[in-house]
Amino acid sequence: MAGIYLHIPFCVRKCAYCDFVSFAEGCVPEGYVEALLTELELVARGGGYPAAFDTVFFGGGTPSLLSGAQMKTILDALRVHFAIRADAEISMECNPGTVSPEKLAAYRAAGINRLSIGLQSTHDVLLNEIGRIHHFAQFLETLSSARAAGFDNINVDLMHGLPNQTLEQYLDSLKTVCDLGVQHISAYSLILEEHTPLYFRVEKGEVALPDEDTVADMQDAGIEYLEQRGYHRYEISNFAQDGFECRHNRNYWDNGEYLGFGIAAHAAVRQGRWTRFANVDSLDEYYRLLARGKRPLAETIRLTQRDEMFECVMLGLRLVRGVERARFFARFELDIAEAYPLAMEKLRKRGWVIETEQAIALNSKGLDLQNEALGFFM
Amino acid sequence: MAYPNELIRNFSIIAHIDHGKSTLADRMMEQTDTVAMRDMSEQLLDSMDIERERGITIKSSAVRMFYTHTDGKRYMFNLIDTPGHVDFNYEVSRALAACEGAVLVVDATQGIEAQTLANVYLAVDNGLEVVPVINKIDLPSAEPERTAQEIEDVIGIEAHSAPKISAKSGLNVDQVLSAVVNTVPPPVGDPDAPLTALVFDCFYDNYKGALSYVRVFDGTVKEGMRIRSMATGHEFEVTEVGVFTPAPMAVDELTAGEVGYIAASIKSVAETKVGDTITSAEHPASKPLPGYKQANPMVFCGIYPADGAQYGDLRDALDKLKLNDASLSYEQETSNALGYGFRCGFLGLLHMEIIQERLEREFDLDLVTTAPSVIYKIKRTSGEEEMIDNPSNLPSVTEIEQLEEPVVNATIMTPSEYVGALMEICQERRGVFVDMNYIEESRVRMHYILPLNEIIYDFFDQLKSRSRGYASFDYELKGYEKSDLVKLDFLLNGDMCDALSTIVHRDRAYAKGRAVAEKLCEVIPRQQFEIPVQAAIGGKIIARETVRAVRKDVLAKCYGGDITRKKKLLEKQKEGKKRMRQVGTVSLPSDAFMSVLRIN
Repeated sequence: MAGIYLHIPFCVRKCAYCDFVSFAEGCVPEGYVEALLTELELVARGGGYPAAFDTVFFGGGTPSLLSGAQMKTILDALRVHFAIRADAEISMECNPGTVSPEKLAAYRAAGINRLSIGLQSTHDVLLNEIGRIHHFAQFLETLSSARAAGFDNINVDLMHGLPNQTLEQYLDSLKTVCDLGVQHISAYSLILEEHTPLYFRVEKGEVALPDEDTVADMQDAGIEYLEQRGYHRYEISNFAQDGFECRHNRNYWDNGEYLGFGIAAHAAVRQGRWTRFANVDSLDEYYRLLARGKRPLAETIRLTQRDEMFECVMLGLRLVRGVERARFFARFELDIAEAYPLAMEKLRKRGWVIETEQAIALNSKGLDLQNEALGFFM
Repeated sequence: MAYPNELIRNFSIIAHIDHGKSTLADRMMEQTDTVAMRDMSEQLLDSMDIERERGITIKSSAVRMFYTHTDGKRYMFNLIDTPGHVDFNYEVSRALAACEGAVLVVDATQGIEAQTLANVYLAVDNGLEVVPVINKIDLPSAEPERTAQEIEDVIGIEAHSAPKISAKSGLNVDQVLSAVVNTVPPPVGDPDAPLTALVFDCFYDNYKGALSYVRVFDGTVKEGMRIRSMATGHEFEVTEVGVFTPAPMAVDELTAGEVGYIAASIKSVAETKVGDTITSAEHPASKPLPGYKQANPMVFCGIYPADGAQYGDLRDALDKLKLNDASLSYEQETSNALGYGFRCGFLGLLHMEIIQERLEREFDLDLVTTAPSVIYKIKRTSGEEEMIDNPSNLPSVTEIEQLEEPVVNATIMTPSEYVGALMEICQERRGVFVDMNYIEESRVRMHYILPLNEIIYDFFDQLKSRSRGYASFDYELKGYEKSDLVKLDFLLNGDMCDALSTIVHRDRAYAKGRAVAEKLCEVIPRQQFEIPVQAAIGGKIIARETVRAVRKDVLAKCYGGDITRKKKLLEKQKEGKKRMRQVGTVSLPSDAFMSVLRIN
């Protein structure tokens, strides 16, 4: 498995909790698309990447600010420079309020076959509180347009732990979305990141976030509810109907190879040693380097085998299935339990681990306290 | 060649915080062309970052300048700066011992403050001539005549002809220079007599080693001479003598009456003692100069490195600070929660804060500090008496016959409208009212006897906030008084944490125990299990709170392939854990130990 990630760092407006690299613009500047094309070409020419790719993912920002034509240009170029498998999963993030039925049809025609819609909540009061630009009604329009355009693999993002959100409101959002019959649900907690507008408002006491216990209750109740409705939990915050797990994200958690394009994008490939690349996170710098025919890299990290091993654990233990022993052995010629005897002992003592012949996985208690568990492996 | 004594003037400036001492010193340096205007960074004498930021002077600092008087003669001024805060009385007395006069700066909008008064008395006791100066007359609320009257009434020196200046604008600063020549007597001393030089400060210079700041009373000191410390008997060879301009500048010699520094290849910091008399090894003086009021530490706390591996660095840093600050004391101690560290003694709370800040800033150390304590006097049932500066060393109740605590005579000066509020604070702090009088119609001086342990934390802040910053405060140790004190302990998940123990009055123990337990519950992060937090007096539990177990620690979704970010978070978590202190089964963040104080 191998994937390609493209970062579209533009939004109509930045949300109050967002600390991703993005800029408020009504559309994606042509210059950015051209720069992306240059970067694709440069990387393709440089070599040292997988022979074929199974997934493509447009993340942001708001990738749905791309026009249908821009999307087609990028996807066409991707296919020119890289071998994208015929059955590849090609996803994009899409925000309600930024797409028309025509645009969705154009995306579909260009080759997008999976949509990830950033709904976050079905309650307009809460959406307003966190600075989202859309209303629930707009989401419904987007969803039906998407279906009309032929999308049959759709994810919806929902958040809990929002300012003033109650457990009932959260479960109500889940129910509404399940009733709509989407294939995949990402249910994650609001993380209060420093230097975001929401952070300052909370600091000043202007808004109150639900306390730790309430957030934990929301998460637990959410997991139980989604399982009941046929969305099985396959990763800490991801739920899917059978056969609809996100292959692109699965590849991250399997610590597979991927390329990344656009500002602040990341990549990981095997070039002798396991190597990670991070692109610069300023637009000016990104344009400047590409104009001079240089890859816009901020950082290249060559990992030791031990670091690579830890990454496999760190990512794999997010999956309910856990770290697959055979895969781990094939990569390091070592069994995971032998590689980390002390950590395994601690996990057993806490009663957080499920050990089978196939995999080492955290049980639900272990998943709840995954950071603590990972500490054992460091 | 020696500078004629009659043209030398050695003096200090005494002032309350913010009354403009450092600004006046700056202007004097400017007007005597000691420092070119363009080199002036504000408040040149306050060379430590902390001094400039807090707007206070901590260390004495000395500078030489030359002033051409109206009589056409060129006078050498040696200005020795003094701190204004009550904690640093000791440093003031050191500086004054090196001078013949003191410039008293009083803010024309505020009048005399309690600490100024204490320092002026010190100067008068030392036989210094006082030159009153009324500052800030450019402010609309200035009342120079009334301030002059107050100086005459309270201190008893003539003040109506005192220079009325604005140190900020430089207005009439020339009158101050002139008054120094006319009022401060020249030093008397014999350049040919055996050397006696008083060490009034020292400073560790990375290149020159330990520099002793001296006032030469008799004789001459120059490079190459062998000198002897009269306190230790150790002998050294002088490698350099110099003066402060204010940067150190080497000179050929320092003679009787002059102020400057001696560098003498003194390697170990312990070999230099402030208050010492230096004499010639060949022709020693028969007796040392009179010492001055020794400062005794009154406030104690434990200082530990946040990372146990930094213990050695902490010791070296304390050694170095001690060189600059004779009033700091420390000895090694160990705690079950904090490992190896030091029990440090300070003159007062500001002194404690400043030392902590300097350790962290200048030596780049991360520290854990325990709640400050005073020295208690214990009479055991066996009849033995003992002094205890660490609550965790207090013997069990059954072994104690009687406990005594230090009390101070406190002077508070305040505009009369705040009297009620300030009396309330003193009452809350177990103060005993002594007397109160009006220094003028709207200003009052109050005397209280207060237990020292009631004023070592936030008394001063409270005083300031309840008087809108107008009240000032000074204290001196009165002695020990019997008191009904108990040791308040804290247990975390059943294990006692020695570093959290405090000694409090019995009447307050319950309220304090409950408040601290609640506070601890706020600062102790939730852990994998439930943690009972208990307060106890002599084994009896008086309060209990619970830190609930953590339920989830992983909430984030993984960000689009940005694995480094997640790894950094995990590393931060690990670093944070390393900085936590282990008490039995419970991890405690470093600031928990100080948070015990922040309780109302």
